[in-house]
Amino acid sequence: MIEVEGLQKVYGNLAAVQDLSFRVLPGEVVGLVGPNGAGKTTTLHCLAGITIPTAGRVRVAGHDLAADPVSAKSALAFVPDEPHLFEYLTVEEHLRFVARLYRVGDVDRRLPGVLREMELEDRHGALPGELSRGMKQKLAIACALIHDPKALLLDEPLTGLDPVGIRRMKATILEHARAGASVMLSSHLLHLVEEICTRVLIMRRGRVLAFGTISEIVASRPDLAGLRLEEVFLGLVGLEDSVEG
Amino acid sequence: MTGPLAYLAVRSARNRLVRQLRRLRTPRYALALLLGLAYLWAVGIHRRPSAGPPQVNPETIELLAAVGITAALLWIWIFGADRRALAFSRAEVTWLFPAPVTRRELIRYKLLRGQFVILFNVLLWTFLLSGGWVDTGPWRRAAAIWILLTTLALHRLGVALLRSSLLEHGAAAFRSRAVTLTILAVVVGAALVDAADALPALRAAWDLGLQQFLAAADAAARRPVPAALLLPGRLLARPMLAQSWVEWGRGILPAAGLLLAHYVWVVRSDAAFEESAAAAALTRQRTGDQSGGRRFAARPIPRLAPAGWQGGALLWKNLAAVVRTGRARGVVLGFVAVALAITLLSIGGTGATLLEIVGWLAAMWAGFLLVLGPQWVRNDLRTDLSKLALLRSYPLRGRTVVGAETAGSTAVLTALQLGLAGIAYLAFQGASVQEPAPALRTAALAAAVVFLPAVNFLAMLIQNGAALLLPAWVRVGTERPIGVEALGHSMLMMVGFTAILAVLLLGPATAGGAVFLALQPFAGWWAAAPAALGALLAAGLESRLLLLRLGRVFEATDPSSVPPMEWP
Repeated sequence: MIEVEGLQKVYGNLAAVQDLSFRVLPGEVVGLVGPNGAGKTTTLHCLAGITIPTAGRVRVAGHDLAADPVSAKSALAFVPDEPHLFEYLTVEEHLRFVARLYRVGDVDRRLPGVLREMELEDRHGALPGELSRGMKQKLAIACALIHDPKALLLDEPLTGLDPVGIRRMKATILEHARAGASVMLSSHLLHLVEEICTRVLIMRRGRVLAFGTISEIVASRPDLAGLRLEEVFLGLVGLEDSVEG
Repeated sequence: MTGPLAYLAVRSARNRLVRQLRRLRTPRYALALLLGLAYLWAVGIHRRPSAGPPQVNPETIELLAAVGITAALLWIWIFGADRRALAFSRAEVTWLFPAPVTRRELIRYKLLRGQFVILFNVLLWTFLLSGGWVDTGPWRRAAAIWILLTTLALHRLGVALLRSSLLEHGAAAFRSRAVTLTILAVVVGAALVDAADALPALRAAWDLGLQQFLAAADAAARRPVPAALLLPGRLLARPMLAQSWVEWGRGILPAAGLLLAHYVWVVRSDAAFEESAAAAALTRQRTGDQSGGRRFAARPIPRLAPAGWQGGALLWKNLAAVVRTGRARGVVLGFVAVALAITLLSIGGTGATLLEIVGWLAAMWAGFLLVLGPQWVRNDLRTDLSKLALLRSYPLRGRTVVGAETAGSTAVLTALQLGLAGIAYLAFQGASVQEPAPALRTAALAAAVVFLPAVNFLAMLIQNGAALLLPAWVRVGTERPIGVEALGHSMLMMVGFTAILAVLLLGPATAGGAVFLALQPFAGWWAAAPAALGALLAAGLESRLLLLRLGRVFEATDPSSVPPMEWP
């Protein structure tokens, strides 16, 4: 489970995230959506322990990220929007490297499955420089899954994937959620969010505009009834803009 | 150059300067700047009163400068003119290559962009060289240094273009640099043969003292072939060393002519530039900016054990990086070849003088690497900070990350130094060297084995600490400034590093010295080993404290505070 209470991140005069509180339960897939600059990536970075929040508390699988970062990080995996790989490690070596960091004892048993799941079996000896953008993304995802995380954070996970890869990725996310992982993903692809997310958190300028299932969000805004997520999103963000304007 | 390109170059430089100035609001940057300025001020104040009449003949100074510049030019031909010299940034490739801009304009843009680094170095070297042996006015010296650095930068670009052009036209032999090296070997060999006649005179002068030796070297360098080889260096050095306006005027015109000739050479190379620059940029994009265009080969490495200390994974990763660049293999093969040659020479009982030279050279390089090595060996946080977000997401304590990263470069540097020390030891065994005594040599080698890892770890902690504390001022990633014109930044960093290392070594030196003095009456020179152990403990304590501090800094460092270093 991911628990967030009063999360705030301020850079100088800019409040990137303000007073954010929510929970992602085991088995849930929460979609984080919002316009550019809404604070989605900053939020995910705070949840992954990459960025230190200015205020607030994050707990991952019961471990406080500030007080016990090693235990909290051991339970989670983060996939960034741009795959960061080491140019001198092969595909298989990346997985072995990450497995050692996360104390995965039975890496030899898990490796074939993960490589197969990400269609990297034939490229297990390749260096990142020999991989396409999509393959690199698959490797980054494979690294995230090798230790079977209890919390999975994905920033634009489908970027660079081909249609087959997208379908497989969606199945993988749902499979891990069904196995009990708490999944949070950010995406601009609203149809993806609508398709696989159980709840949606809509952000704008660092604040929560709405959080809940699509039907819950619509219920709080009768004028948006019957609309798809894309229209709901545009309606919420557009309304805010017109109000502020 | 068209307006937009000049605008891009000037605005980029201005914005970079503004960004650097804004960083001074952060106390640690402001403090580092103050310390740097205080050092420069102290150097300036300390040196000026002592600047008396030149102790060395000006002609000798010119010779030394010419040799240095010639060495820099040779270095460019051998090592310094790969395709990185032609590479543009990702943004530049995206925006400028498809734009209606001629390739000649792109070259001029690249030259203008490089000027900002050169101007910084001109400022620095003008100050550092002021008040020295030769009293040239600051403006005259600055102009001369600018011509020198710009000519070297142009030379590097020109050689890179020439090499690329030959490659494109099928001169495959240039791929291995064999032809370049052969030509250079012939030229240098001819110069040495020509100067060989002067060897007896040089030997005799050496016995008389340094001044006499330098004068004899100057005479040897005026023989036809060495003189021709050193001429460009002399032309570029003369205006820097001129002591009057007249001398400067006489020197600056040939130097400016050399600069102009280089400019024409480079600008007229635009046919080769088009393919070369695009290829360099594409390579850089394909391999990722983080690799700095370096090519890695998937050479077999030992498999990482699934269980064990988590930091071991980082250490293994960083050693893999070294092995896979191919440099490690070359160094190991070189060491093995030299060791074999030494063994053969020793068995044959010949070449004692050669062995002595090899021994001293190896020992000297092992010593140089104490100061230079931590700047050169960088398979640690300095490379990995560009992936800070990834490192921060790992379930590791900050001190574990810093310690494991530092251990990687420490292991490589220590192996290099011990390899050189071993070669020196072997060479002296075969040579007829009386001093230092064999027992002392053995004791020194034993102490080196014990103490070098600790000294190197401390040194690497300083380098990694600087990268963590001042990421905007330290080269982050494998991309690095290349060329003689960018030496100023490295030199400033080295001065700071050496000062901090000296302070940190005071504690271990005191501890080791005390143990040695206490045991020396009983154990003789063998007291060096327990003394090293005592020093090792003190160094270990310092390392532990530093590691704890830097671990906390790592845990508090926001990835957004680590900007990608962009080198013009």
